[in-house]
Order: sequence, then C-alpha cells, then structure tokens
Amino acid sequence: MTRPDAAVRLRRLLTVIPWIVDHQGSRLDDLAARFGIKVAELERDLELVPFCGLPPYTPDRLIDCEIVDGRVFLRFAEYFGRPLRLTPAEGFSLLAAGQALLAVPGADEKGSLASALGKLAGVLGGGDGMAVELGPARYLEPLRAAAAASERVEIDYYTFGRDELTTRRIDPRAVFAAAGQWYVDAFCHKAGDDRLFRVDRVRGVRPTGEHFDASTPSAAGPALFNPRPSDRRVTLLLNAGAAWVAESYPLESVEERPDGRLKVILAASERAWLERLLLRLGPAAEVLDPAEVRVEAAEAARRLLERYG
Amino acid sequence: MADRLERLTNLVAVLLETRRPLTLEEIVERVPGYPTERESCRRQFERDKATLREIGVPIALEALHAFDQESGYRIHREDYELPPLDLTDDERVALHLAVTAVRLGGGPADGPAGAGREALLKLGGIEGEAAPTLAALPDVPALPALFDAYRRRAPVSFTYRGGLRRLDPYGILFRNGHWYVVGRDADREAIRAFRADRIESSIEAGPGGGFERPDGFDPASALRDEPWRFGDEEPVEARVLVGPAQAGWVEADLGAAAVAERRDDGSVVVRMAVTNRDAFRSYVLGLLDHAEVLGPAELRADMVAWLSTLAGRGTA
Repeated sequence: MTRPDAAVRLRRLLTVIPWIVDHQGSRLDDLAARFGIKVAELERDLELVPFCGLPPYTPDRLIDCEIVDGRVFLRFAEYFGRPLRLTPAEGFSLLAAGQALLAVPGADEKGSLASALGKLAGVLGGGDGMAVELGPARYLEPLRAAAAASERVEIDYYTFGRDELTTRRIDPRAVFAAAGQWYVDAFCHKAGDDRLFRVDRVRGVRPTGEHFDASTPSAAGPALFNPRPSDRRVTLLLNAGAAWVAESYPLESVEERPDGRLKVILAASERAWLERLLLRLGPAAEVLDPAEVRVEAAEAARRLLERYG
Repeated sequence: MADRLERLTNLVAVLLETRRPLTLEEIVERVPGYPTERESCRRQFERDKATLREIGVPIALEALHAFDQESGYRIHREDYELPPLDLTDDERVALHLAVTAVRLGGGPADGPAGAGREALLKLGGIEGEAAPTLAALPDVPALPALFDAYRRRAPVSFTYRGGLRRLDPYGILFRNGHWYVVGRDADREAIRAFRADRIESSIEAGPGGGFERPDGFDPASALRDEPWRFGDEEPVEARVLVGPAQAGWVEADLGAAAVAERRDDGSVVVRMAVTNRDAFRSYVLGLLDHAEVLGPAELRADMVAWLSTLAGRGTA
C-alpha cells in the first residue's frame, strides 16, 4: 500500500476538523464513511492532531482531541472552524456535475439539487452564466423508464451508417449521455448481441409486456465506436480545410505531409457513413486507397444529382 | 524530527492566526521542524509553501510595513474560509448523486471528477447513495481557469486558431458534447463563443471585477449552433425539401418554426437563413438522398455544381 502524501492528508485534516468542531461526538465510523476513508486512516490522522496548535505549544495552545467510546471530541481548534474555499477546479466540477444532472429531462427544477446549486453559485459568484445542455431526445423518457424497470421494448431505429429504418426488440440496460448524444446500452434481439443505440435515432418505442434479467452485465461497455478488424480501412489525403476530420473521428493514423496536407487512415464500417463524409469534404479530400471508394463516392454524387435533374 | 504533516498543519494555524505578515525567520521560530541551516530551511519552507498552494491554501506575500522593502507571509481568513452554505442533508444527497452520476474526463478517481468529490467533502461530506453513470462530459484543461475568470468577472486572453483573443467571459456552456466559453470579444466588439478544447495557450486572467455582465445574459441563446448562420456572406433564405424518413429529425433539430410546408407523404419543406454556404451544403449533404435544395436558384446551382464535380471524379 502506498502512503498518501502529506498534501492529501493535510487537505483531509483541514476538511474533517471543521466538521468535527461543528459536530462534537461524531462516531469514528460515521466520519470515515462521510469522508470516504477507512477508519484506520482517520484514526492515524487524528492521532497527529494533539501535536498541532500554536506557539508556545503548551497544552492550552494545542488542539485537544479525545476519542471516547468511538466518538470524537475536539477543543481549541477554532481557527480550523471552517473548511478551505473550493479551488476553481473543485467549484467548476461540482457545479458542472450538478447542472448536468439537472439538465436530464424530467429533473426536478425546484428540488434539492436546484436549491443546492443555487447556494453554491451564490458563494462562488458568477450568477447564472453557466449552462449544461445534454440535448433533447424525443424517446429519452420512455427508454429511461424501460431501463429502470427492466422492460423489454420494441423500437423503430434509424441506422445512420446504412441509412435504413428497422424495427427490433431490445433489453435496455442503461441510458446515458456521452459525446453530445444520448445512448441506450441494450441487448438487441435482432442482432443477438449487445448494441449501443443513439436515442435521437429512435423513431418509436412500444412496450412488449415482457421483462428481462437485468443482472446480465453489458458487454458493449462504454466505448462508443470500436472499429472491428473486418471494417474497411480508407486512406484519405486532407487539405487544410478538412483538418476537422482529424478532430472529429477516431483515426487509425495521421501523418502530416511536407505540403501541409494530412494523410489519415480511418475505419469505415458502413457505406452511407463514408458517402456522407466524402460528399461533405468534396475536393478537400482525396481518396488514396482503396480505389473502389473513389468510385462509390462518385456514384453517390450521381445518385443525389438525379433529384436535381 | 517532527512529522511533515504536523509541521504543515502548524504552519497553516500560525499563518491564519497572525495579525501581520511574518518573515521566514519569524515563521521558523514559531513552527517547529525546520532545519537549522539557513539554505536548507529556506528550501524546505518553499516546498511547504508549494504544497499548501497546491491544495488551495491562499498564502499572501505582503510588505511588513508601508514603504518597507522586506516582506512576509500570512493567510487572510476571509480568503481561506469557505463561506457558510447551510446545505440541508437532502441537498448534500443531491450533490452526491450528481458527482457520482456525472463523470468529468477520465474517471471517478482522478482529475476533475476527483475535484467534484473533494468539493463535496468540503461541503460536509458524502450523504446518501452513489448513482450509476448517467452522463460523461469531457474534461478540458482550460476550464478551471476560465470558470475562475467567469466567476470573478476577470477579462481573459488566450491563443485560438493561431491568434490572440481578448474576452470578457460572460458564461460557460456545454453543448453538443463540447465546452464553450461565451463572452464579449474585446477586439471584435461582439459576442463570440470559443470551444474550450481548441484554446491553444494557458488562460491569462486580469483583475477581478473587470467587466459587468449584461443583465439577463443567457449563454445558451448567445451560442446558436446553426453553423450556416455563422458567416459573413450575403444572407439568403434557403428552402430545403426533406423526405419522410428524416423529416421528424430535421424538424426537431431546426425547430417547428422552420417548417414552411408539410406534404401528404410526410415530407416537409424547411427554411434556413444562410450566411455560410459551405456549412449549409454540409448540413444538407448529411441528409444524403433525403434532402433536396429547392431554392433559391443560386443555392440549388451551388449544390448541383458541387455534386457534378464529385460525380466526375470517379471516372477520371
């Protein structure tokens, strides 16, 4: 076991002492749970407290710490009566997490979280200039309800990569927001496997009246896009105007050429996804490999042109 | 030798209780555990000072007397202490759910996720149960500094896409998976939004209270996420026909007010105000075969020319 360094222990002491000063006689095990540490760690920290205080470090100037029947009492620690201010990272993180949870559709805008965030913003300053949006999604609430109750549902789903609408039965295990989208982590009976579905591409949700066993762990995991070895690898040469591709998609490799262009390799599992990318990039991207992708992109352009005939 | 934690704790107590700045010599007299040799004593004190600042203890360096060259250290209680928030147990339960349900960056143990938990401990510790992950938000190194400047109303400057930008940060917004800082761009004299993860330098912040935020400023409405509106080109109103398979999604994306016509087969015609033709074309092409630019003729011709060029490339 590595010993936590002095900074970690000091931060903990300066947090725990004010609480005990305000809550004399708190139980050791309650304190350990409240501050997320082991009882032994807390005891080790508290053993040190009687040696701390002010010059000349006579008994009346040292903090008096007594543990009686597992209850902690502190005296002469008034100067540690309040915890330290929040650091910018702490204030930001707590506010961001709270606002994100409040942004989930269905959250109680007048509940305890909202009032806690109001108090926090009052102390931190800045007012109401901070906002977190997780995005609306029409079928978010029925899917969250189904996941919470382990209910199998039938969904209509638009597969973006193949540009097709399908109907399938799924066991929704969890619904979460990541990378700017809502996702359902589910077992898909059509695929016979775990799948992640984007909630904004769900076009209908119907109950089946069946329940599923929620104890089966998900194999899909949190990864949003795992290239499969069988996915096609496409090599593109990108002009400066197309450099956003490197920021927006996971790439297998990126290489800057002497002329400033980027040579990238990406995994493309679905044809419609790749068509869309190449149509948007247009002359800013050149397909180096494989040659058939060049032909596919041109075919897609001709197909769309037919509408304008 | 006294334990380092003991010395650090005593150092905080002494600097909090003093009513005037203390020189290093005075500190060493009052806090046991420093080496007697002068240079190693100074080094040890510098290390302690760095540790205290790392955990957020605000140590001030001040002149001992007016017009005095010599300076000393103290901690001002009003800078050190967290003002009372008077949170209820229910409020602490709610905050605990939030920091466990929302992951910031890497994971629960490190980085800002850890920072949210540290904040919770200062506010009175863990109350209630943890929640399963409901949302994952990216962590961006510039955010704590931008947040600090925003809350103190301190003007900032930073490098963005190779240029220096000066901004009064009015707000911070998370949208479409990205963090933005929104405010008044001092050089362009207009409201601008910057993606925090594309800031290329550290954040230089000026003194607090350096600007007033306009009443009722709302970062969400200041940042419109319709890129075809962000441009300097001659404005034009485009009409786009969207097929039934994508009509619902497009309506949700653009808002019902954008729908100009509903057809019996379920398709819709939407209006889009365009000042950036590249962004407009990109949006329409994202809909593949489900969308067609109806007009005006200029935009329709743009699209035909673009597709024709691409259609010709495959045979070349």
